[in-house]
Amino acid sequence: MARDKIYQEEEFPSPLLQLWHNFRQSPVVLVGFSCFAFLIILAIFAPLITPYSSIENHLDKLLLPPAWDKDGDISFLLGTDDLGRDLFSRLMHGTSLTFGLSFVVVIVSLVIGVFIGSLSALSSGIRSSFLNHFLDVILSIPSLLLAIVIVAILGPGLDNTLWAIVMVLIPQFVHVTRNAVKEEFTKDYVLASRLDGASSLRILRYSVFPNIIEKIISYATLAQSAAILDIAALGFLGLGAPIPLPEWGAMLSSGIDLFYIAPWTVYLPGLAILFSVIATNLVGEGMRHALKIGKES
Amino acid sequence: MIIFTLRRLNLLLFTVLLLTLLSFSLSYLFPGDALINLSGEINATPAQLAILSDEYRHQENIFMQYWAYLSHVFSGDLGISMASHLPIIEEIKILLPATIELSLAALLLAMFVGVPIGFIAAIKHEKLADNIILTVAMFGYSIPVFWLGLLAILVFSIQLGWLPSAGQISLLYEIKHVTGFQIIDILLSDSAYKWQAFQNATAHMILPTVVVALAPATIFVRLARTAMLEVLDKSYIRAAKAKGLSFGQIIYHHAIRNAMVKVIRDVGLQFANLVTIAMVTEVIFSWPGIGRWLIESIYQRDYTAIQSGLLMLSSFIFLVHIITDFIYAALNPLARESNHGA
Repeated sequence: MARDKIYQEEEFPSPLLQLWHNFRQSPVVLVGFSCFAFLIILAIFAPLITPYSSIENHLDKLLLPPAWDKDGDISFLLGTDDLGRDLFSRLMHGTSLTFGLSFVVVIVSLVIGVFIGSLSALSSGIRSSFLNHFLDVILSIPSLLLAIVIVAILGPGLDNTLWAIVMVLIPQFVHVTRNAVKEEFTKDYVLASRLDGASSLRILRYSVFPNIIEKIISYATLAQSAAILDIAALGFLGLGAPIPLPEWGAMLSSGIDLFYIAPWTVYLPGLAILFSVIATNLVGEGMRHALKIGKES
Repeated sequence: MIIFTLRRLNLLLFTVLLLTLLSFSLSYLFPGDALINLSGEINATPAQLAILSDEYRHQENIFMQYWAYLSHVFSGDLGISMASHLPIIEEIKILLPATIELSLAALLLAMFVGVPIGFIAAIKHEKLADNIILTVAMFGYSIPVFWLGLLAILVFSIQLGWLPSAGQISLLYEIKHVTGFQIIDILLSDSAYKWQAFQNATAHMILPTVVVALAPATIFVRLARTAMLEVLDKSYIRAAKAKGLSFGQIIYHHAIRNAMVKVIRDVGLQFANLVTIAMVTEVIFSWPGIGRWLIESIYQRDYTAIQSGLLMLSSFIFLVHIITDFIYAALNPLARESNHGA
């Protein structure tokens, strides 16, 4: 952090700002972050900027290969599928489904999980021990299996998949928050404000949260890459998004039958998933690295 | 060690109880009648239903119902499948070994490949090799497994034609079902074509195992790298250096053992993740395991199968969890002492 000091006054940036300063040191991470920002913008504005609608059929242009192929057509940049739908538009619409919804899912489960986690960190005794064991059990069940069970209860469909993934992620956030809060509560600065007469809730709000929010955000990126993969996997298994929706996993599974004659209908959605997961992981990686630097300095 | 064992067994018991509680409550949460969901008898006549209701004590309060369910589970009766009308315990006996075979093979592969690479990355910390390994690892755990499986089939089964793409063994070979583990069954059988069958089964295993192992392997790379870096930072390594030991000696005699212990601690946690991947892979490679069966059960709305499958698979994962805890404790005396939070 080589920032020029013009004034005598010492400047103490907030933990989140410190994280950002350390975060932007690495160029690779910044590339990942730009991709991440790009995906978010695409997820929001996809319906406005796509050339075609995601369900518009071009019956004279079935199974057109991508534009760089000699049979390709530049007005269908990434080719079309077996119903003549433009893959480029479908992939862009899919961003708001697979990537955008995973973002929403993570935010929702983060809020609920952090709330429960911080309350449970304040409790102790048999209640807390029971909760701990209960969390251990839930965490030992594979996330996809849990999601499948919840989908079985609620019935297939995109909405239900999202609820299922929210419910899978909540225990993880509870676990992370709980451990982080407990760790902070043993520190001296918390003791100091406790001696000043602050209540537990006040300490949580003004002392502990600003110091653990970075940990939670860095975990959230991990959760998001898992959420993208889970939404896509459930879509692929036919339990998530219904057929006409351009969800990447569902697109991939509908391309399987055409795998041999039109491989681009399979590898393009896969690449899209790979790209978004890598962008998310790069951001998370950069964040964890920045946290480590922050701790060492 | 005795206290440690008791604590673990206690935890295992508690967990299994919680899992049965979960699967019992599923029978109420799933659509349809709880009694039919528990027993799987969808075509039962009113008279049969009355007998079932008596058996599962459905006239009494919820605790007695749970108790009746528990005694059914522990006597090995998980109800019958709604789809095939076969006892679920029999189906699971056939399917679970196939999943265990696949996931254990993948776990071993992931460890044998991932851990050494992670150590190399740590030794070459912040050099070119480290960066390359980290980049490749990042790709490895970002690839969606169903996509990877499809690409593997396209390249190795269809274009190159090297390996079979589906199933556990060619239908030509008739292997008697003894333990359920294909490889062991083949070695036990006295067929004249034993070695051909063995080769065939191995060829069928290669692709799914590699596909399942890829993501866990990259996670082991990262775990091993972190563990090794931590160990290399310790003062006993510096002491060994000061004594004049060569770099190789330090690594072989001091660093690897201590780093391995840290890696083994996390194997149990990774196993749940690995089974998730294995479930999807089973669907793609038509592997006759419990994951594919569970996913098909959803299509068929076979709720009895889902709740029993959840119970068995999670118990199995937790068992592996406990076993790795024991291995970890056996290797690391620090973990056995209760004041270290064992």
